[in-house]
Amino acid sequence: MSVRDLLSPFSAWKNVLRDPVTIADPLNRDAAPRYRGFHQNDIAKCIGCGTCETICQNGAIDMLPVDSVATKIGDSGLRPRIDYGRCCWCALCVDICMTGSLTMSNEYKWVDPNPDNFRFTPGIDRKSWDSAELGYQRPEQHRLTETKRIAMQELEADERIDNFAEIVAGYTVAEAKLEADRCVSCGICVATCPTHMAIPEYIAAVRDGDYERGLKILYETNPFSQVCGRVCTRKCETSCASRHEGDAIAIRWLKRHITDQVPYERYREIVGDPLPPTGKKVAIIGAGPAGLTAAFDLARLGHQVTVFEAKGAGGGMTRYGIPEYRLPYEALDRDINLILSMGVEIHYNCRIGVDRTMDSLQQDHDAVVLAIGLQQGRQTRIPQSNHERVYRAVDLLHKITANEPFELPHCAVVIGGGNVAMDIARSLARMQKQQYGVVNITVTALEEQQHFMADADEIKEALEEGVLIRDRCGPQGCEVDTGGKLIGLKTWRVVSIFDEERRFAPKYDEQDEVVHACDTVIEAIGQFSDNSLLGELLTETLEWDRGRLKIDAAGRTSEPWLWSAGDCVKGPDVVSAVADGHRVAASIHQKLQEEDR
Amino acid sequence: MQALYHRLKALFPLGELTEQRENLVFVTVDAAHLRSLLLQLRDIEGFTHLVLLTAVDWIETGEFQLTYLLGNRAKRQDIGVRVMLSREQATMATIHDLWPTAATYQRELREMFGIDFPQSPGVNEEFILEGWNDIPPYRRDFNTLDYAEATYNDRPGRESRDPATYMREKLYGEGH
Repeated sequence: MSVRDLLSPFSAWKNVLRDPVTIADPLNRDAAPRYRGFHQNDIAKCIGCGTCETICQNGAIDMLPVDSVATKIGDSGLRPRIDYGRCCWCALCVDICMTGSLTMSNEYKWVDPNPDNFRFTPGIDRKSWDSAELGYQRPEQHRLTETKRIAMQELEADERIDNFAEIVAGYTVAEAKLEADRCVSCGICVATCPTHMAIPEYIAAVRDGDYERGLKILYETNPFSQVCGRVCTRKCETSCASRHEGDAIAIRWLKRHITDQVPYERYREIVGDPLPPTGKKVAIIGAGPAGLTAAFDLARLGHQVTVFEAKGAGGGMTRYGIPEYRLPYEALDRDINLILSMGVEIHYNCRIGVDRTMDSLQQDHDAVVLAIGLQQGRQTRIPQSNHERVYRAVDLLHKITANEPFELPHCAVVIGGGNVAMDIARSLARMQKQQYGVVNITVTALEEQQHFMADADEIKEALEEGVLIRDRCGPQGCEVDTGGKLIGLKTWRVVSIFDEERRFAPKYDEQDEVVHACDTVIEAIGQFSDNSLLGELLTETLEWDRGRLKIDAAGRTSEPWLWSAGDCVKGPDVVSAVADGHRVAASIHQKLQEEDR
Repeated sequence: MQALYHRLKALFPLGELTEQRENLVFVTVDAAHLRSLLLQLRDIEGFTHLVLLTAVDWIETGEFQLTYLLGNRAKRQDIGVRVMLSREQATMATIHDLWPTAATYQRELREMFGIDFPQSPGVNEEFILEGWNDIPPYRRDFNTLDYAEATYNDRPGRESRDPATYMREKLYGEGH
């Protein structure tokens, strides 16, 4: 044995002066900053989409109502409850969370004699780690779903300005699959859609490439799917779960994609045959989306439906209001022809009150639906606005669709900042480009441009096409020269639009006056319904609500044989009219069945 | 580590170099050259430590990827050697004679992915999954949720609501 062997044990004493490597209090040791510990949920941020439940590979998460959260558009009101008897803290739920509300603290100790307590709702059942800052959160850039919407191919301004070709190309199959892949199928959007389309189901059909299944799903709730696939106001996209940390799913374009993929010859067979005839007869006045949706439903239930349309073709405002570059007539015709193929009879150029009376409709039918829309343009009634070169936008749009001649303005000023104003401005811009080679249109409105009622896309595209926009301009009168020729529109600068009680009461700066030189003024400030077809007696008998026909939730008027639906009684957009059409059809069907009992 | 790659490339048919960090790179080699490459790395290049042996299931291309991660302690460098195997015939030559610890990794891969390493000691013995009766759980066609639901009971009182259905009841369904 050497001296070294004898002394070496004592060399360990040198460690006495070093810091210990052991942990002084191992029972109270902090976990790593990104440790996947107990869950936290920011309840105000969470929308109850249930994607955490869907992805959980252990079946540890339940979606349940909680007292403090109400169900509303865009929020199911459910919140995730986690069973720690099954959770393995893999954090997939945190990684997929669509709002980023679900995170993990780095707390990892929880002692409780009652096993049921380990099933808890983070953020609702208060825990000591609720406000812990450390713990696992989804790293920036680490996303399980693509956040960017697949871009849509569209015609550039110079390609589209001298024609009425459809601007939007529609997705290719590959693009649509990628877009559909972004959808987590939570279904939060369904409540927002006025007609409650089965959105996750038809997006799943796109994902699977099963377009016939997709088409069947579409037409179960929306016989105007080709139309809505192009021009829907797509409220659904405003409550899409993907919107919270990325772009909303392009629900409207995916709907259109399905209708593009299925050959039209297959539609009728996929949608299916109507039920056997019931012998009941229903008359529908107006072949717009509301009237024809009601016709579609009632005909499919076996009732004999006759539609009376004052104009030469069906579609209502979707044909005579929406320009062809947004909605080609063939797409509209395909939807209408499918509806008519259910055995719906239609009389065009038949004006009720002129060609037939309401009385005769009542006598010949078990039920009558009034779905006449908002065909009349509102007037500003500013001085000299009764000049012959002052038009209503809806009248001009009608002339363009119906190919009726009118003197194309060299220089026009549009009053109004909504979609109809953009529609007429952009339609006239195209015609000016075709006939005169130059665009000369000015849109004036009371609001600031960012508060226009028109869709942001419409404003952007109108500007691209050379339309001028002059915001905060209040129309004061039309300028007419001594020869009686319209030469301009006088406007004052808008100071405010509403008063303290939020009532419409525009205030102007009279010093800030502009005369917009023009040969034509077009009013696009809203529409109203022409109810003169009802006749004096029926108008007297019916109950009214501030100038509008009074109806109940099912669309019934105060007369037991008369229902009303669509823009003439509800706000103007296609998908709401479709929803309204379904509503009255269901109510009429119920009534007709009751009569048989 | 570029120099190392070029030295190795002169001797073995290597795929491209992936430089993860300054001191961590990956190379791909075919199964037939793995053993001689590992020996070269261990005995000539100083990568004496088998840090780990792991696998990835690339179900889309029908392959398993084995990664042999070796460490050079003196130079504080790591190199990962990747070998692609057919998912259908998932068998690989054992390297337990080069590093005895490889036997444990190989036993684990046998159990979790179903990749066989013939002649590796105890390769067919259960590792952590006692009484396993399903396809190997790290294969991506193994449905974890189905297995969990079939295998483990819920505590009484579990219930859940579908968001879309619940919203219909609350906002617009029958009675609204």
